[in-house]
Amino acid sequence: MSAVFPSLEWLEELKEKLNSDEKYARIAKNWEGDMLCQLDADDTLKEPIFLYIDLWHGKCREVAIWDEIGDKKPAFVMKASYGNFLSVLRGDLDPMQAMLTRKLGVKGNMAVMMRNVPTVLEFVRCAGEVTDEAL
Amino acid sequence: MQPILKVNLSTGTFEDYIIRAEWQRDYLGAASLAARILYDDLTIELDPLSSESPLLILTGPLTGTFGPATGRFIVAGKSPATRLWAESNVGGIWGAELRKTGYDGVWITGKSNSPLYLSLNGSKPELRAADHLWGQDTYQIQETIKEEAGLKSTKVLGIGIAGENQIPFAGIFCDHGRAAGRTGLGTVMGAKNLKAIAVRGNGGIPLAKPDVYKNLRIAANRALKEDPLSSVMSDLGSAGAAEYLDYLGEMPKKYFSVGALEGTEKLSGSSVAETILVGKKACHGCVIACGRVVDLGDSEKRKGPEYETLLGFGANLGITDAIFTTRMGELCDRYGMDVISASGTLGLAYSLFEQDIISTDDTGGLALNWGNAEAAEILVHKMAHRKGFGALLAEGSLSFAHRFGVEEQAVQVNGLELAYHDPRGASGMALVYATSPRGACHNQSDYFLAEIGQVDDTLGLEYFDRHAGAEKAANVARHQDWRTVGNALVLCHFANVPPETVLDLVNAACGLELSLDDLMRSGERGWNLKRLINLNLGLSAANDRLPEPLLEPLPDGGAEGYIIPFDEMLSAYYTARSWNAETGAPTHEKLKELGLVELNIA
Repeated sequence: MSAVFPSLEWLEELKEKLNSDEKYARIAKNWEGDMLCQLDADDTLKEPIFLYIDLWHGKCREVAIWDEIGDKKPAFVMKASYGNFLSVLRGDLDPMQAMLTRKLGVKGNMAVMMRNVPTVLEFVRCAGEVTDEAL
Repeated sequence: MQPILKVNLSTGTFEDYIIRAEWQRDYLGAASLAARILYDDLTIELDPLSSESPLLILTGPLTGTFGPATGRFIVAGKSPATRLWAESNVGGIWGAELRKTGYDGVWITGKSNSPLYLSLNGSKPELRAADHLWGQDTYQIQETIKEEAGLKSTKVLGIGIAGENQIPFAGIFCDHGRAAGRTGLGTVMGAKNLKAIAVRGNGGIPLAKPDVYKNLRIAANRALKEDPLSSVMSDLGSAGAAEYLDYLGEMPKKYFSVGALEGTEKLSGSSVAETILVGKKACHGCVIACGRVVDLGDSEKRKGPEYETLLGFGANLGITDAIFTTRMGELCDRYGMDVISASGTLGLAYSLFEQDIISTDDTGGLALNWGNAEAAEILVHKMAHRKGFGALLAEGSLSFAHRFGVEEQAVQVNGLELAYHDPRGASGMALVYATSPRGACHNQSDYFLAEIGQVDDTLGLEYFDRHAGAEKAANVARHQDWRTVGNALVLCHFANVPPETVLDLVNAACGLELSLDDLMRSGERGWNLKRLINLNLGLSAANDRLPEPLLEPLPDGGAEGYIIPFDEMLSAYYTARSWNAETGAPTHEKLKELGLVELNIA
């Protein structure tokens, strides 16, 4: 049975997927930087949740759930409602479309981000493939 | 609305032109309103460089209001490059300063016997001799006129040597490198012997509900600053998405002939930011500041390259040196030439040279092989001065190709060179280029952004695959309508402002109670009005075409092998627009719906 999104189990499955996916490894080989996905509460998710994912040279080094951002400074912070994150993972909302229509906020070095859009798209594909069940 | 200052250069007289109140509701301002004001003057017989040819500089109801990226204005008339409707949109500070003089626009008619410049200090207009300015570049006139005025705060709009020399792609420039570059309106200004317009305002910007507007624009600017697209534009400039566009096969190389070129990654906003960027520059009141300030190693702060400059003088010519493109951009700005048309015409020359259609016998000994930056620089100078081979290039790509019997190879539509967004990577751009009222233009609709997801569902826009065909035609038309609203207000396309926010700002600024449907209808009205003007000027359905090279597949890159189903797309577009397939004209029903029946051609 698949892990439920969002949960630590889901993050562990994502880590395993990223570390075994050849296409992701190839396209993300130059990526350096951890990211935090901030899922804001909506009708389904009652409290915000922070998913931490450390990505480095085509591999996933660490995943965790944080209670808050606090003083930590991940390289990128993606911020959206739970529903919009889920739409992206399910392929109902293109990640670039989400960003360009203000459904997904992105903070971090935009030079790195724009240079690596294919990596982001591959990451989203992998995350989508481990998302069978959600809240 | 404030009046327009109407200036007759033949008689040296001035009058106030009062804009009909109902036209603001119907056309909003700037580009659409200019089309309505000039409708009767733009005839097929009119020589764009004649005394009778009008040149209308017009702001929008949001210009200078410190709204979200609303510092822009437009210039309009009849294009010497296309002989069709001409409109060009420019930022900087000049437009806001003009409105502070008590005028919303300047309408130039007639022709002076000797060089003049118009000074508008407060609301007092004066024509002054400009013999000493003739021959100066667009940067030099800024300094000279400000010194004469004794006021650094004077804002100057003017032409360079290209406009004086009647090069059909000369633009009108303000504030050091802000360009109304397209469609050759600098040529019209030069033909009138008008070198510059200097403005110094001391009034306020009229707003119907100033307190309401203030609260709205503060919130809008705060939201805009937080927008991810703003971050990209602010951090990386207009070339911020270059790598992604290249990945999609949308970045032209070697005059649209290939999809891949080693070193292209050096021609991106990221690369500029990591190498030569030392600062940013903003148009009036803009929180994004997409303008680049760079240092090329000589400790001098210069205007950095925009996307079109990086591509036009870069990959388009097989060159991957951002510093070179920066220098060529400045050269074009100083001469007062449109970067896209100048580099596009050069790209054609390189392409013909590589095909052995032209040789060093034609080029004055220059070998125009891909990557030859030195030759490009020499030819930019020669173009501006109409010297040698440069004089042939100075006529633009269509005339140049015609001279060598290869008209079909010119990548242009109706005489205007294509912007550097290859429609084979974003098929909607095929319709945008083919149907744009001013030739191959990406500012009548930046649909390439819609192709990567910038589609606001509150406007009824949908997201289609970038290689979808006829099914996206109605979406393209709707996107054009929305951008026509933007060009009427005037709103920068880089500002990702929610449509509801735009609506609230317009209503507060103008004292109107428009709905979003009204706003979209105004955009559609403006689009169809420009279509009527062009039909009057001789355009027909046969003009709605893409150049042949773009109908061929690319051999490599992100759009490799894709062929645009252009005929099907155009047919669906005509249906969506309610345009007659034979004549290319809007149907009577559509004109009636838009309130344009009385303007219809016979």
